[in-house]
Amino acid sequence: MLSADFVIATGIGYVGLLFLIAYVSDRQARRTQSSFLRSPFVYTLAISVYCTSWTFYGAVGSAARNGLEYLAIYLGPTLVFIGWWFVLRRLVRIAHNQRITSIADLLSSRFGKSSRLAVLVTVIAVVGIAPYIALQLKAVTSSIQAIAGGREFGQGGLSGIDEVGLAFGVAAGMALFTVLFGTRNVDAKEQHHGVVAAIAFEAVVKLAALLAVGIFVVFAGGGFEAIFSRAEAAGVDIYSTGTFDDRWIAMNVLSIAAIICLPRQFQITVVENSDENHLRTAAWAFPGYLLLMSLFTLPIALYGLTTMPAGANPDMFVLTLPLAADQAGLALFAFIGGFSSATSMIIVESIALSIMVSNHIVMPLVLRFTQGRGVGGGQGVSQLLLNSRRFSIALILFLGFFYFYLTRDSDALAPIGLISFCGVAQFLPAIIAALFWKEASLKAATASVAVGFVVWAWSSFMPSFESASPVVAQLMAEGPWGIHWLRPEALFGLDGIDPLVNAVFWSLFLNSATLVIVSLFTTQSVLERVQATVFADLFRHPGSAGRTVIRGTATSDDLYFVAQRVLGAERATALFESAGLEAGGDAREPLPQFIDRLERELAGSIGAASAHVMLGKVVSGDAVSLEEVLQMADETQQAIEYSLQLERTSSELRSTAQKLEEANQQLRELDSQKDEFLSQVSHEVRTPMTSIRSFSEILLNEQRLGEDERKKFVSTIHEESLRLTKLLDEILDLAALERGERGDENALIDAEAAFDRAIEVCGALARQRGMTLTVGERCARAPVMGDSDRLCQVLINLISNAIKYNDADRPRVEVRSVTDGEEYRIEVADNGPGIVKGERNLIFEKFARGAAGNAAQPGAGLGLAISRQIVTRMNGTLELVAGAGRGARFRITLPLAAVAAD
Amino acid sequence: MERRKLASAAMFLTLAGALLFMPPIASVFQVHQRVLGLPVEVIYLFVCWMLLVAGAWWLGRQLPRDTGESGEDDG
Repeated sequence: MLSADFVIATGIGYVGLLFLIAYVSDRQARRTQSSFLRSPFVYTLAISVYCTSWTFYGAVGSAARNGLEYLAIYLGPTLVFIGWWFVLRRLVRIAHNQRITSIADLLSSRFGKSSRLAVLVTVIAVVGIAPYIALQLKAVTSSIQAIAGGREFGQGGLSGIDEVGLAFGVAAGMALFTVLFGTRNVDAKEQHHGVVAAIAFEAVVKLAALLAVGIFVVFAGGGFEAIFSRAEAAGVDIYSTGTFDDRWIAMNVLSIAAIICLPRQFQITVVENSDENHLRTAAWAFPGYLLLMSLFTLPIALYGLTTMPAGANPDMFVLTLPLAADQAGLALFAFIGGFSSATSMIIVESIALSIMVSNHIVMPLVLRFTQGRGVGGGQGVSQLLLNSRRFSIALILFLGFFYFYLTRDSDALAPIGLISFCGVAQFLPAIIAALFWKEASLKAATASVAVGFVVWAWSSFMPSFESASPVVAQLMAEGPWGIHWLRPEALFGLDGIDPLVNAVFWSLFLNSATLVIVSLFTTQSVLERVQATVFADLFRHPGSAGRTVIRGTATSDDLYFVAQRVLGAERATALFESAGLEAGGDAREPLPQFIDRLERELAGSIGAASAHVMLGKVVSGDAVSLEEVLQMADETQQAIEYSLQLERTSSELRSTAQKLEEANQQLRELDSQKDEFLSQVSHEVRTPMTSIRSFSEILLNEQRLGEDERKKFVSTIHEESLRLTKLLDEILDLAALERGERGDENALIDAEAAFDRAIEVCGALARQRGMTLTVGERCARAPVMGDSDRLCQVLINLISNAIKYNDADRPRVEVRSVTDGEEYRIEVADNGPGIVKGERNLIFEKFARGAAGNAAQPGAGLGLAISRQIVTRMNGTLELVAGAGRGARFRITLPLAAVAAD
Repeated sequence: MERRKLASAAMFLTLAGALLFMPPIASVFQVHQRVLGLPVEVIYLFVCWMLLVAGAWWLGRQLPRDTGESGEDDG
């Protein structure tokens, strides 16, 4: 048979084993960097500190009372870890970058390194966790009592000690143990490899113990089916009717918040994380662990309900079932498992809380009273930190005991835990805002956490004292000063819902609403803005984390003085040497980067806010303030913009210069064209002038000429003058067209009419030459904008060219016109010699003639140039299109006028 | 799957888990019947749970790793 003395001795022995494990693994961690201690599975097992004696004992009690409801506590964390990519990964990355030491440090760091917020968060955490510590004390006490039973033998040395005395003993023992265990040194990043190893070991122990009891129960009960059937027969609701209600949702929300916000979970998951990729394993392994832990909860509860006497405490079934079956060994194992889960929780929770208390309450006070120089004397700040942590651990356990003492009449474990969950859940809105919402301000975060805390204290924390205090009981029944709608468990008149749902809903709702509304109406300080960007843009600018915080100058000597006090001489020296600075006696000014790094190293020990204050005081001599830094950044920004503007202007100038260059080039080309034109005109004019001159000279000098000859010469002179006049007319015409002088406004004309006239004129010419002018398809009406006479002139020119230059055996010219709704096209085709390929582009130039049109042909070669000018002025085109066979085909395309439709 | 799709998959797996565990979907399985001797809702919750664990295991292997530690510096 087991006795209380024996199990207490076993417990103490077990604690000794934990010490050994922690000691060995600490040494091993220090010696090698890559031991199995840094494996993702040890990390995962350490996270399982989430499973406390609430899980080990309380879940069965919860299942016995409320069926499946107990699962909600494990499904929430499962969801958080399944979604590790979105929240946990960010937290871990930020904690690494900013050397975050606790959840208070995280919030303080994000919201402008505010000491006040850190203090508030710390106080809330300490108060909120007290019920949770009480739960562990209660569980350990009850488990010892369960083993001792009512028997004289079982009680052993405990006889005469009541529950409260026993709980006090447990609390004192735990405090001593944790102080010895957790505060041996102040670590750089607040990582405790030894503790983590011991916690991982405890995780294995409690899982094995619970599984052992579970398997035993399933065997003893004759399998799952038999257990469920017997419970159903005994009148137990095995279907957990009505489980999925508002309470279920509230508990899921709470457990989601708890796995992120509980100080010990934050400590293990975020602070103790040595490699971000460990989360990959924990993402499935931790939910898997939770699943195994909950696997046998329901069978154990149901088996206990059917076999144990009525009135037996269902919270202790895990222990009492083996005892009732006289399985002393198994019962001892179960006791160790429960003890494991309680000790691991108390160790990590109180270490995490003590770090918060020492960094955010004690350090700022010390800094205030010593003008930022820390305390004098040998070990300086590290010794102070250790002492304040030891004191905090004792305080936290005492608070837990005190809560236990006040609420010792309540029997179930799970509801006590839920009070704590609801308390720490008040950090969740601020944390989510810290990670994802840049606009959230310090005032809003402080107000929201405070509001949430007050509502929680009123609606969840205070009611737990109902049995201990008549005042509280009266408040709960009637509300303060008889104000009915302020009753803690029916806030704002929300009557008839579960008190837990009431507390969770109102506290989180008012908390979040405050956060949002105050953020919208307050402004952030500069440091807040900087930190908000660092947090929210974590993965966008990974390199820029935590820059531009303290800028200024300080001698290396001054900095070393500070560093040595906080980090200890050894680490400070190593740090300074790694930066190439001499430790002490060095008056050089370290780089701002080094000050930045030093601040983060200090923050790893004393928290961001304290480190900032401490360094700020040393560096402040001629330091540049953050506002000035930002001002400078703004000025730099302006300078950059200005230079961009300059660049833009200069590129504009460049392009203008280029355009001028091009224009100049064009002018030069035009000039040379003009010269060419002039020489061609002179040449053209000279030919008839020469013949006129020579014939006139003959007429003047030769008196013996006959009348006939004389007449012939005069008519030649006349012909040549006519040709000359025509040439000059054409040149003038072309010049006028090119300058756009001729005031030929485009009017609405019928192009077909002009076409008719041209065909009529040319028909005569064709008959003269004995050839046919074929008129192809015609369209009825073609309203275009243009000049009727001019268009006629162009057409006559084209058709007569086609007739004149046609040397085919059976010369033929064909004209036709079409419209396609938008354009009007006239085509003039002949079967003459055509235009050789190389000249197709040239024939529209001045003085160009087709190869066939040599000097023997009349005309100066201006006709097509003029025609093209005319058509262009009517917004049309004149072009030479490729024909099918022999001959040339000219096409005039004119846009139809818009009024064509009617 | 591409990197961005993997992150979306992780998001949707989480959302799916949340939906499956909550009413009204969870309430659908409260049918007062037993499968293999266990109430249907118990089987349902544990099966969903196992599927989530398996999904998280798969995603943990697939989701991209950060090469090097860009946040850690000057050390």
